[in-house]
Formats: sequence, structure tokens, C-alpha cells
Amino acid sequence: MEQSDIPFLSATQLASLIEARQVSPEEALNAYLDRIEQVNPKVNAYITVCADEAMEQARQAGQEIQQGRYRGPLHGIPVGVKDQVHTTGILTTDASKIRADFIPTEDATVVAKLKEAGAVIIGKTNMSEFAIGDSFSSFKGPARNPWDLSRDPGTSSTGSGAATAARLCATSLGEDTGGSIRGPASLCGLVGLRPTWGRVSRYGADGACWSIDTIGPISRTVEDCAATIGAIAGYDPKDPYTRQVPVPDYRQALTGDITGLKVGLVQEYLDSEKSGVDPRVRDAIIAAAGVLSELGAEVREVSLPLSVNCGVAIRTITHVERVSLHPEWLRERPQDYHHNTRVSFSTANLIPAPVYYKAQKMRAMVRQEVLGALEEVDVLVQPTSAAPAGVMSMDGTVASKEQAKQALHRGGYTGPYSLTGTTAMSILCGFSSEGDGGLPLAMQIAGRPFDEATVLRVGHAYEQATPWHNRLPPI
Amino acid sequence: MRDLTDAEVQAMGYAVGLELDGTELTEVAHSLNAILEMMDALEVPGLNAVEPVPLILPDTEA
Repeated sequence: MEQSDIPFLSATQLASLIEARQVSPEEALNAYLDRIEQVNPKVNAYITVCADEAMEQARQAGQEIQQGRYRGPLHGIPVGVKDQVHTTGILTTDASKIRADFIPTEDATVVAKLKEAGAVIIGKTNMSEFAIGDSFSSFKGPARNPWDLSRDPGTSSTGSGAATAARLCATSLGEDTGGSIRGPASLCGLVGLRPTWGRVSRYGADGACWSIDTIGPISRTVEDCAATIGAIAGYDPKDPYTRQVPVPDYRQALTGDITGLKVGLVQEYLDSEKSGVDPRVRDAIIAAAGVLSELGAEVREVSLPLSVNCGVAIRTITHVERVSLHPEWLRERPQDYHHNTRVSFSTANLIPAPVYYKAQKMRAMVRQEVLGALEEVDVLVQPTSAAPAGVMSMDGTVASKEQAKQALHRGGYTGPYSLTGTTAMSILCGFSSEGDGGLPLAMQIAGRPFDEATVLRVGHAYEQATPWHNRLPPI
Repeated sequence: MRDLTDAEVQAMGYAVGLELDGTELTEVAHSLNAILEMMDALEVPGLNAVEPVPLILPDTEA
């Protein structure tokens, strides 16, 4: 195998070669660093590439493996980490001028866990400024979608999606509040898992919205995703909201057998009048449900009438909770924020308390609706995004109230599972016909709290039965 | 409900220590009016009786 072929392996394929000592962690890292040098200028996926630190980690991993101390599927694997997550001695900017010089002195728990698993932190990935949820507010410029550089890579974990799709890391971490893992996974043709709130420690990750934030993997395959979540999940005394729930071996859950599993196909997201779904996405989801049925699942129709309208509620909650972290900076350094961030934060500061309170009530009702549905079925299935990636606008100007309302609707696809606090995963389920290679379309699979294993099992069975994950972006 | 004017939004800004003016003030007014209008339009039976607990931690593994 040529070194330049290494980035085109899945993380778990690479892990097998590393375990068998057919590829060393240093060789793997060099292959990725070479590709970053060639491709990152086009996609702008990284804010910081930590080549020296990564090489030291790779050397250590190589020595351990040579000595017979193989740690598992992330040992020696290059991982990209969203720049919202603290890394000792490495710049952590939140993609903002405000944090342009911030170098943490302690790793976030997820980073410490990755290092315990032997992973090599190859760099810090681009994002929207303070994860506000656009694609262009990073002070380092926007990340680009590897499937079409003129298009949106999904937000707010823009760089984690772009880097993973462009083969600039083997797997990555994102942070998902209202959909910031699932959105980039959807638009970049990847697998992105939002874990249950409380499954993965948030300690050392800069907050976007304390009661909804989660950290999880964005990967190229379900098995890679399972290996990554397996490395970072678990109770952490530093995050009082993590739960002491056993972490299963997620890769062992990937049996390929979903016979008899009950799958709820959420009807509102297949109705363009109710959800604005693009017909190409709708058709891909219906076809995907057909595949699940052929695999032995029992697919039935499910209705979530409140959830489809929850976009404004989640935006209200995330706006208010996010801005509560920025009072001094917003008053003292307003010009250091991107214009769009400043408008968003200023708006958030003015939302009346009764409106926030009403949004929390709506959240409670959406949670009842989603958890009620999940008592009847094992997983829920629907689109992750209404449409494939759109052409990225660099103009965030809010030109009218109607335009602002359109943006508020967007949270209605991923928002229900964020508000519920449960797990949901985006997986590639087809392509549109635009451009050279088409644009990815994605299915969202949501499960019961702490049942990531079933979500991964369903996604893996679907992935293995379909060809989509084998297609490469034209970059 | 009627939209807040730029002047009203500017006054609300003063109340929380923000000085808003120019196009930025207008954009904030658009954004705020959109949220207020859409939240006002959410009329769900039983919503008023719901206790707005922000999160409920599941007790057991699924």
C-alpha cells in the first residue's frame, strides 16, 4: 500500500493494519499530514494542525504497539477535535478573535480519554464562532464542503465534517447542541452521533448551551463512529451531569441483525407542507425505510406533530443559554465578535423571560412526545436535513423578519432529539444529482436515552446493505 | 402582535448594557421580532399546565 492510500482507509481498517504492525502510527500520521498540506487550503477544515505534538503521540503509540501493548481501535489513529474542546498546550479558539490566544492548561475529559485510548490528536477543527450555528463566522474563514467547495459543510462543527469527509483525519469529535454534529455529518456524507445528554463528559468543552450540549463523533463509517464514541463515553466526576450508566462495547453491537426491530418513520418530515422537506430527501428516506424493512425491521408510521414545530423553541433556549456565557465580552469587546455573532448574541440578550419560559414548556412537551413514541418503537427515522447542502452565503445580514423566521424553522429537524436529551445519529442515505459527484442526503436515526447501541446497530445494518459510504468526494 | 420598533429594541438594549444602533440595531429588531412572533404563535393544548423542567435525566439504561 502506498502511504498516500492510508487516508482513504476507514479508521477501523487502519486500526487493523496498525494492530498487525503493517502500518505504523508514524506512517499513518505522515500520510494524513501530507494530505492536509495538499487539501486543507481548499477546505479550511483546521484552525490548528498540531504536527509536532501529534508526531510525539504517534511515536509513543508506535513504541507501545511494538512492545505488545496495543490499546484498542483508536491506538495510533489521527483524530481531529473541534476547536471548542480544550487541549493542553494547544490553541483552543472557539473560532473567535476573543479566544485567539487561549492555550488551555488542561485537556477536556474527552481529549484525555482519546489519549488514554492511544489516539493521536492531529489538529483542532474549524467551527462557527462559539458554535452559534452559521457556517461563515469563524475568524479563520469558513470551512468548505468537500463534495462541492461552493457549498455549506453544515454547522456548527464545520471543520470536523469537512476534515473527516476530505480524509484529513481518520475520525473526529464535534459538539452537538441543536444539531451541530448531525448537520455537518448530513451535508458532508458522514456518520455523526449525538450521544444521550449525560453519556459523554462536557468537562473542558466551552459551553454553547449547558442543558443541551453533547460531544460526539463524526466519522466515515458506523464502525468508526462506534469505536470513537466507545473511547469517550462514560461517567466523569468532573461533569456532574454524566451518568453512571455502563458503556457497552458499541462495536459488538454491530451485528447486522435488525430482525424484528420496530422502526418508526416520522410522517411529518416526509410532508413538504409541514416540514419543507425537499422531495429528493423525502424519496431517499422512504427508500431507506424500505431497505430497513427488507432487512427484517418492522417499519411503521409515527407522528410527532409538536416536534416538527420546535425549531423556534430550541433556538430560543440555545440563544439565551449561550449568551449567558458572554456578558463581559459582549459589553467590553463587541467588535471582536463576527457581525453575525454579535447580532445573534444581542438578540438573545433581549428575549423576555416569559418567552424563554414558554420555550422550556414546549421542550417538556416535545420530550413527552418523543419519549412516548420511543415506548412504541425502538428507533425513529426521518431526514437529518430538509435538503442537500446549499450554496454557502458569506452574507449573514438579517434583511427582514421573514428571513429570520426561515432560519428559526431550520432547527425543527434535529431539534426534537436535542430537546429530549436523547441520542440521534445522521447517516448517509443517497445522493442528489448536483455537481460532479452529487451531494449527500442523510437519514437521522434516533433512539431511547442511553441506547446508542441500537441506533448504531440499525445504522450499521443499513450501511452494509447500501453502497453510499463507498463514494468519495471529488477532492 | 405588533413588531417592536428599532427605538424600542434600542431601549431594551440599554436595559442590559448594550448600545445598539445603525444596521445592527435593525437586524437585531428583525431577529427579535421573528422569535417573539413565532413563540407567540405556538399554541399547544396543555402548554400552560406543563412544568418547564429543562431536562430530565433518565434513571435507567434503555
